[in-house]
Formats: sequence, C-alpha cells, structure tokens
Amino acid sequence: MSYKVTEDGNISTVYLNGEIDMDVTEKAKEVILPIVETGKEVHLNLKDVSYMDSSGISVLIESHQKALENNTKVVVKEVSKSVLKVIMMAKLEQILNLE
Amino acid sequence: MNIEESKDFLVSTASLKEVRVFSREVFEKLKLEQDLKDELVLAIAEAAQNIVKHGYKDIENTNDRMEIKISLKDGDLEIGFFDKGKPVIPENIQHRKLDDIKPGGLGTFFIKQIMDDAVFKKDQQKWVNHLVLTKKI
Repeated sequence: MSYKVTEDGNISTVYLNGEIDMDVTEKAKEVILPIVETGKEVHLNLKDVSYMDSSGISVLIESHQKALENNTKVVVKEVSKSVLKVIMMAKLEQILNLE
Repeated sequence: MNIEESKDFLVSTASLKEVRVFSREVFEKLKLEQDLKDELVLAIAEAAQNIVKHGYKDIENTNDRMEIKISLKDGDLEIGFFDKGKPVIPENIQHRKLDDIKPGGLGTFFIKQIMDDAVFKKDQQKWVNHLVLTKKI
C-alpha cells in the first residue's frame, strides 16, 4: 500500500493505493487517524484501492468513529467496484459517508 | 473442470498477499466470473487472516506454516485450511452483530456470506486445525 496526502483549506485528502489488508492496516491508521484528530475533514480517495478485506473495513469504521468524536467527518470517495461490494457486504453503505 | 492445488505459507500477515495471489491463480484456471473470484479470494484471505490473528494470537515471528488446498470436483468447491495454531473451539466463533458498528469481527461474517458451509474437521494428525469451506459453483 502506498499513499499521498493533499491539503485544500480545511480538507485533507488521503489517496490510498494498492491492497488494504491486515498487513497494512496499522500503516493506514497511522496516516489517517492523526489527521482526523486535528479536526480536519478527511476525504479518503479509494479509486486506486483494488482490494480491501475486513481489516480495511475496520480502518474505515475507526476513521469514521474518530471523526465523530472530533466533530468532523470522513468522506469515502471514488470507491472501486470491488471495494464497494465489501462495504455493502458489511452493510456500511448507509453508515459511512460515501461519495 | 476439476482441479486440486495446494500451497503452504509462513503464518504471517506478510503472507496474506501471497495467499491472494495463489487463490487468484487457481481461480483464473477455473475461468470463474470476476465477481465470484473476488468473493472467493476474500473468503480465503479472511480465513487465512483468522489463522494469523487468532490461531497465533500473542505469538510473534513463528516459523510455522499453514497450508491451503483448493479443489473443485464436479462443481463442488472445497477449500481446506491446515494450521498448527491454538486449537479452535468452533462453538466460540461468532461474528459481531452488524448493527453493532465497531472495528473488527467481520471476517467470519464475510466467510459465511460467501461460502455455503464452513466446518472444522478433526481428521488430521499432522495439523491442529483443519477448516473446510465449501461452495457449489
């Protein structure tokens, strides 16, 4: 997994790339959660994430919940078809902010 | 097409990608639809992850290996997982309720959603746990 972060005003966009599994979840959390804790709105762009398992889903849930604690939000953007299927299997499409 | 292939992997999170590559290669030979291939690869990866995460909980840097065997015979897909981790007590395995939104606990739910059946068999001398996932395809 690789990533890139861009800033635009109060919005930070994290572009994740590759496959998100248990082996990289800590790295993903280390990137995302500190930004969320600053209170910034975080956009997670998943267009280049080709695979995500339950560990990756946990990162999305934890990021979402951390955002609520910090009175901000995480928006999950440009989800690939295969990742969307996993999100829907977990019945999280109504919980996460998907765009 | 009937097929039987197996491969062993070091019990480690770093092996999960290798598990997916192996699974995709096998399913590619079977010429399954992409959606079904994706689901099956996810189920296999989740089961392998459970071995690393739960079977070897609190055990770091093991040299143990786990084996995955994929076989298809007359439309019956069977995926076997063999490991030497902590003995699994099937009655203790349960996924979290979906409306209890929190990180974790989804892997077993995914497996049950994708596969027709998941059973732990006690038929191995060499291994501690033998999980068998089956699906009619």
